[in-house]
Amino acid sequence: MTAGPAGDGAESATRAAAPPVARRSSLPAWWRSNTSRRLAFGYLLLAPAALYVALLVGIPFLFSLYLAVSDANVGEPVATFVGLENFRAAWEMETFWIALRNSVVFLVVAAVFKSLLGTSLAFLLLQNFKGKKLVRGLVVIPFTLPISVSVLSWKWMYDSQFSVINWGLHKAGLIGGYGSESWPIWLGQPHLALLACIGVNVWRSFPFSAIVLLAGFTSVPTEVLDAARVDGCTFFQRFRHVVTPMIFPILIIGFLFDTVFTLSDLSVVYLLTQGGPGNATQILPVLAYQIGIQAGSLGRGAAIALMLVPLLFPALFLMLRNLKRRDW
Amino acid sequence: MSDLQPVKTAYASVDRRRFLKVTGAGVAGASLLTMLETRQAPAQIKGTTLRILTWSHFIPAYDVWFDKFAAQWGEKNGVKVRVDHIPHLEIPARMAAEFAAGTGHDLILNNATILARLYYKSLVDMTDIYDQLGKKYGGWIPAAKSPIEVEGRIYGIPMYYILLPMLWRKDLFEANGLKPPDTWELARVAARTLKAKGNPAGMAFSHCNDANLNWRSVMFSFGAAETDPSGDNVMIDSKEMREALQFAKAMYDEGMTAEVFSWDDASDNRFLASGIAGWIHDAISAYRTTESTNPAVFKNTFIANEPAGPGGKRVSVSAPIVFLGWKFSKNQQAAKEFLVHLVDNDKEGMIQSTGYNMPFLNDNAKKPMPIIGADPKMQVLQDFPKIVAFFGYPGPYTPQIQEVANLFVLPDIFTKVARGTSVDESLKWGVGEYRRIFSKYKRA
Repeated sequence: MTAGPAGDGAESATRAAAPPVARRSSLPAWWRSNTSRRLAFGYLLLAPAALYVALLVGIPFLFSLYLAVSDANVGEPVATFVGLENFRAAWEMETFWIALRNSVVFLVVAAVFKSLLGTSLAFLLLQNFKGKKLVRGLVVIPFTLPISVSVLSWKWMYDSQFSVINWGLHKAGLIGGYGSESWPIWLGQPHLALLACIGVNVWRSFPFSAIVLLAGFTSVPTEVLDAARVDGCTFFQRFRHVVTPMIFPILIIGFLFDTVFTLSDLSVVYLLTQGGPGNATQILPVLAYQIGIQAGSLGRGAAIALMLVPLLFPALFLMLRNLKRRDW
Repeated sequence: MSDLQPVKTAYASVDRRRFLKVTGAGVAGASLLTMLETRQAPAQIKGTTLRILTWSHFIPAYDVWFDKFAAQWGEKNGVKVRVDHIPHLEIPARMAAEFAAGTGHDLILNNATILARLYYKSLVDMTDIYDQLGKKYGGWIPAAKSPIEVEGRIYGIPMYYILLPMLWRKDLFEANGLKPPDTWELARVAARTLKAKGNPAGMAFSHCNDANLNWRSVMFSFGAAETDPSGDNVMIDSKEMREALQFAKAMYDEGMTAEVFSWDDASDNRFLASGIAGWIHDAISAYRTTESTNPAVFKNTFIANEPAGPGGKRVSVSAPIVFLGWKFSKNQQAAKEFLVHLVDNDKEGMIQSTGYNMPFLNDNAKKPMPIIGADPKMQVLQDFPKIVAFFGYPGPYTPQIQEVANLFVLPDIFTKVARGTSVDESLKWGVGEYRRIFSKYKRA
């Protein structure tokens, strides 16, 4: 009787030990190491995000590629392959080149102003003052307001007759009254109109730049800044040699977001000027919308919209490569 | 006996599917005709749902009336009616989305941007009710077919159009010894005279629908054409067009200010209501707005006939409003019936729009017309149905003309000239843009 339990105990111990060995041997070789399993788990965690990007970015992008090489229009369910015909048609348009030039000007000028204003605002928000939390909340309002509402408000402020900006300038004695030569027609004079559109874009987006920078600034350890201060670094030296290198990845990501948002921003120009006067504010997204949706030529609209890719891709590539080299 | 073979008759080629198709069409056609005769809805539509997409009318009271009207029709006929209002500029995008999804509203209103020719393969053929309504109300005005006719078939029902007449300040004209702006030349003289007194004239040179409409009225009144009657060939490179451009340049230099380059469709309304404008060329919404915002100016604002060009020709380019229906709609019969009922009540619609909606049907355009026939200042609008035209005149309103309008090519030609580019250079640019757009459609 004693043998039984003893024998059972040995058997059960063998059984208890055996299955893991059997399971392990049946698993593929790559799964046996902890590193592989951790990697697989990591990919599993990433999968929802990758799927999201593939569905909401990848598929529309591939679809727009398909549209761009077809004669698709809104009323024709069946499209035929036309090669690069739509791109050729876009290049033949003078308006396309104006839109391309304006898009680049829009992007560069807006980026400069957003950097300056965003950095200044971020430094201001770093300071300690009463009501800081309230102010931090208020500065993001332009970014959070529905764009149609904010742009329509700006449209009133730029009105040729009832502009509150002009009224203020006139009261300050800087310009003449309504009807005088010095009274600016914000949306009617070509260069002013483009600047006015850029101004609204900057006003909407620079709080975003400020918030991104603020997040970066607050992540810099105060000990490092104190050490630099003790070493005699001035404010600009600390900013240039200590803060900027430390927050560089955040700066790049913020810049990437901003570039994409600015280049693809249709609403500001469409609502303010529809690309006028005389195409002075025409930009690629508006032109693509007017041709692709309003006029119904989906193929040509997609081709024009895809022209943004060659503009964006080199910039994205350089920035991401730079980021990788730094090996953060 | 050996000769006996199955006899091939016409019946042999009629299979079940074909039989159902033919009889179905016959029943539908017959019930539609009966419905038109008796004004009674067929029982088939009971228990269905009709979804209507329309714009937010510039006269809000009209929308209130329309929604109630649609609901009452639905109650009477056992149809659940849902009306959605969106800004008219969003309609093309919504149509594209519904077409791609293959589902959406049963009726969609198009305002100014008429997409019937673009989508006609997917739209309900409305030739039957168009012809019936035409017969019933003395025919349609000549311009009615232009935006909706493709290869002899009709793909929409014209509801009304929006006029842009001359709105002028009688008090200012009289104080300066000016004649009413019955010709473009008189309008120019008035603009020159009044600008010097602080009351410039205004017509938008910007990227807005008013600019597309107004400058076409000028060029057509000068005898220029946009396309030939086939709609396939661009005709803007002409002596008359050059004269119209030179005239526009002179009128801008002498009688307007630079703010016209910045205007949207409502800016001229404000310009008139502010009391500054000597005259504007705009829809009567400007006149109505002034009635409530500046009664003193309203009292002195008068409406003129479309100014005549140098040869005495008058052409008023207007914004057409039409209803289209998707072929994929499951409730086409109710949609058609509702449209018939709506056209039957056209005059009530004109009243509710305070004279803003102009009728496409000749009987409804007979004098005195509701509202405008009773208002001495508006009576002149009753003369417009004879001179109404749409984009592409004298050709039809084609997709290529739609693209030209969407890209504001014509206002841009006028803008270039007004800003100092020579007429020849501006026209050369414009002709190039037109031809590029037209050639893409030819290649397609």
